Amino acid sequence: MTSVLQATGITKRFPGVIANSRVDFTLEQGEIHALLGENGAGKSTLMNILYGLYQPDEGQVAINGQPVTIASPHDAIARGIGMVHQHFMLVPPLTVTENIMLGQESVAPLTKALGELAVLDRRSAAARIRELSQRYGLAVDPAAIVGDLPVGAQQRVEIIKALYRQADILILDEPTAVLTPQEADELFVIMRGMVEQGRSIVFITHKLREVFAVADRISVMRDGRMVGTIRPAEATRELLAEMMVGRKVILQVDKAAAQPGAAVLEVEDLHVMDDRQHMTVAGVSLTVRAGEILGVAGVQGNGQTELTEALTGLRRVAAGRVILKGADTTHVPPRQLVEAGASHVPEDRHKHGLVLAFPVRDNLVLCSYYQPPLAQGVRLNYAAIAARAADLVRQFDVRTPGIGTSAGSLSGGNQQKVIVARELSRISEAGANGHAPLLIANQPTRGLDVGSIEFIHRRIVEARDQGAAVLLISAELDEIMSLSDRIAVMYKGHILDTVDARTATREQVGLLMAGVTTEAAHG
Amino acid sequence: MADLAPDTNPKTVASSRQERSVASSLAARLGNLLSMPALALLSAFVLGAVVIWVTSGQFVTVLEAYSGLVRGAFIKQRGFSESLVAMVPYVFLSLAVALGFKAGLFNIGVEGQFYVGAISAAWAGQALAGLPAIVHLPLALLAGAVGGAIWAGIPGYLKARTGAHEVISTMMMNYVAFRLAEFVVSGPLRDRNATAVQTPRISRAAELWSLWDIPNRLAEPLNALGVALLFGFLAWIITRAVRGRREIANSKLQMADGRSQTANGKWQMADGGSQTNSAQDALRNTEYALRTTHYAPLIIAILVAVLSFAALPPLTRLGWPFADQYDRLHIGIFLAVLAAVGVWWLLWKTTIGFELRMVGANPNAARYAGVNITRNIVLGLALSGALAGVAGTVEVLGVSICRCLPLFFSSGYGFDSIAIALLGRNNPFGILASSFLFGAMRNGADLMELNSGVSKYVISLIQALVLLFVAAPAVVRWIYRMRAPRQAEEEAPLTRGWGG
Repeated sequence: MTSVLQATGITKRFPGVIANSRVDFTLEQGEIHALLGENGAGKSTLMNILYGLYQPDEGQVAINGQPVTIASPHDAIARGIGMVHQHFMLVPPLTVTENIMLGQESVAPLTKALGELAVLDRRSAAARIRELSQRYGLAVDPAAIVGDLPVGAQQRVEIIKALYRQADILILDEPTAVLTPQEADELFVIMRGMVEQGRSIVFITHKLREVFAVADRISVMRDGRMVGTIRPAEATRELLAEMMVGRKVILQVDKAAAQPGAAVLEVEDLHVMDDRQHMTVAGVSLTVRAGEILGVAGVQGNGQTELTEALTGLRRVAAGRVILKGADTTHVPPRQLVEAGASHVPEDRHKHGLVLAFPVRDNLVLCSYYQPPLAQGVRLNYAAIAARAADLVRQFDVRTPGIGTSAGSLSGGNQQKVIVARELSRISEAGANGHAPLLIANQPTRGLDVGSIEFIHRRIVEARDQGAAVLLISAELDEIMSLSDRIAVMYKGHILDTVDARTATREQVGLLMAGVTTEAAHG
Repeated sequence: MADLAPDTNPKTVASSRQERSVASSLAARLGNLLSMPALALLSAFVLGAVVIWVTSGQFVTVLEAYSGLVRGAFIKQRGFSESLVAMVPYVFLSLAVALGFKAGLFNIGVEGQFYVGAISAAWAGQALAGLPAIVHLPLALLAGAVGGAIWAGIPGYLKARTGAHEVISTMMMNYVAFRLAEFVVSGPLRDRNATAVQTPRISRAAELWSLWDIPNRLAEPLNALGVALLFGFLAWIITRAVRGRREIANSKLQMADGRSQTANGKWQMADGGSQTNSAQDALRNTEYALRTTHYAPLIIAILVAVLSFAALPPLTRLGWPFADQYDRLHIGIFLAVLAAVGVWWLLWKTTIGFELRMVGANPNAARYAGVNITRNIVLGLALSGALAGVAGTVEVLGVSICRCLPLFFSSGYGFDSIAIALLGRNNPFGILASSFLFGAMRNGADLMELNSGVSKYVISLIQALVLLFVAAPAVVRWIYRMRAPRQAEEEAPLTRGWGG
């Protein structure tokens, strides 16, 4: 094997931060090289240097053994490097063909003389796209409008765009972050196919399972340094996690058997509509008891969002009943649910969970700012608020320059910790007041790194052990498997089945997530 | 890039950053806050100079114009106080705009609310004749506030109920207000004895006192009592605020003590913690502090009230600096400062303001946190309208020559105030400064025209440029080669999309 891309001794400094410190990285011909690391470890900086977005302060980049300077993305593309960004660079109202042509427009030969006014040759471009799409199994319709395509298809458009520009080296920046597990598996097949046809791929991720599924070699970065490169056969999940975090990480959450108490949340035949007036939750019934974690598994978009919003008073219930501690709370506004002891870690931390412009301090009391001692009458007691905030920042290890820093300037993991701290502290309070508290957590660790996930998982289990009823909704099967006491699988607005987490297997739950019930599977 | 990160050793980079942040964070924050408006002003005046130069053909006109502006605004007789007179409605109106912005609402209808406030005040000022000033003046102000609040509350209700965008509805309400004022002045409220079309003169008790008139006003015991009560109230608030600051400092100390006890964060600790020694000490300290200071604000307030009641009338008669009877400056200027403090307190020190700002910054999160969005939209616009209404009131009660609402009561204050609020960064104290500046420009424009022959509408041009630069900070940053701020500041969006 020969190295198609080699970076040696790359150092890149930003004001006050060293993003890359003497990093070596080699991509061999025809391999999938996974680049693993927590948020802020320097993966993106390294890739942006290879893609010409940044210039390294020190170090060398070589392509096919030749030292080169990659001055701009244009330069990178000319040298056969293509990058698929985490956030797609597509123009939604244009067709797939137009998006892919953009920046490399081919024109009809007869009109070439017209210069800027030449007529676009969509037909030959579409033909090439169709050819690429067949060759690599990237199913897309060249004539489709990009804005109408699902996320997975948009990603395929991005990949074709890179291939269209004759990229031999593909950099995929967290490509699975936006995909369902099934879509991720499809992507891996595509990646295999591309490698077999001679391309080389750098695959950036922080999910350990994916690395084992697809990578030929794994490089781990931490704090701007390259920790090491190993092959999947030599690695274990624990070893990789330790390399990423710099200390031993307990991947399996240690938890005692649940001791379920009285029912806290009872949902009976719930029907909820989504924004487009589709009945996305169609007859869900479930019960969450004090001291247990009920996990709701399911591929995203099967009604979990609407279920959560209905249970927390953010969405109208079309039919059915929600009973919180024996009281009917079906059509109760959020404030009353909050006061009844219901905590909610929302799915979208930027939309619902935080006021990004507010300081961390205010975000930590977002639901309780009006209660004594945080306020006396209408007057806010900033001494008490600051004390509460400082205490939570310390307890939940929120990495922030201070409680006055705006929440928007924290990293995703720390933002999530702010939300979890706020909601779990309200659980503690509800417990202290003699309520049986309820935690509804939707995707509590989405997009977070291993260290933060471990931390938040431990806190959720602690809340359970202190007597909270926990409803955990997640599309991450691993999360559901390791935290839940019981697992309810949601499919097309229904709970397909509820299984005991101690006996359930990944395969069993995975089949249910795909809509295959046990009877059907056996029959 | 090289000069930004000269160190290679990560430790030195980190430590030098720390030192820098400690040493200059305050100065930097203040500088950051002021630099953008200051540069916007500078740029606007420079561009204005270019326009004057080009249109007049000689550079000396620029000097004549700007020196005329400065003399008109500050130096000529009553120039300074006229600038303050013009500043007063600006303060109320731009506070109204800023309060709306903070709640995520673009109240573009302050001009209309200003008119309705003026109508209400013109009515209350003469309809309730016979009441003593201590009752009548506050009632007239209240009437103006209520009028403005209702006028802005209607679009607020429409937005909350139907999603009608407030930019459209408040602006349309402007035209209704203008016509309403014409109707009221020429119809139901017209003064039949006056030749001009105007409302009857308000009673003297409802007037906002001119500064030169204060000794005469205070000669009436009831007026002196009113002032004494107001001063007492202010003293009460100030002493309470000072005590509150001390309590915060104390509680920080106690917090440091109590920290080790609550480290586990288990809720079982909540009632067990107070048994420990240091907590008991803290409790005793607090009790002691409470006993000694609980009544202090009240005692001080009563002292201040009694003293001012006894001493102010004779003292003002002995010597009073404002003797000029043609000076129009009135006590509205003090009300404007009080209003700025009041808005600041409401927005940043109360749960009401917390909710308003939350709805403004992220309505989804506010709903999640249990905040009633509907109520806050109506409240935000109504409060904004109340401030705008007071502006109109102040013009009727304190400034208009006839002490009434005339048919031609054109102001144009309302639209300027959007620029002023932005220039003041929607901060009440920034608004005091930017209002004064706009008041001075408005006041100095006449002498500028007289002095140099340059049309006074050049001032509107400069004001428009200020707005342009403030609204597009990227332009200013580009001109002065400044770097973009690294941290997202707390800034409410000017307005959200038309979808609501």
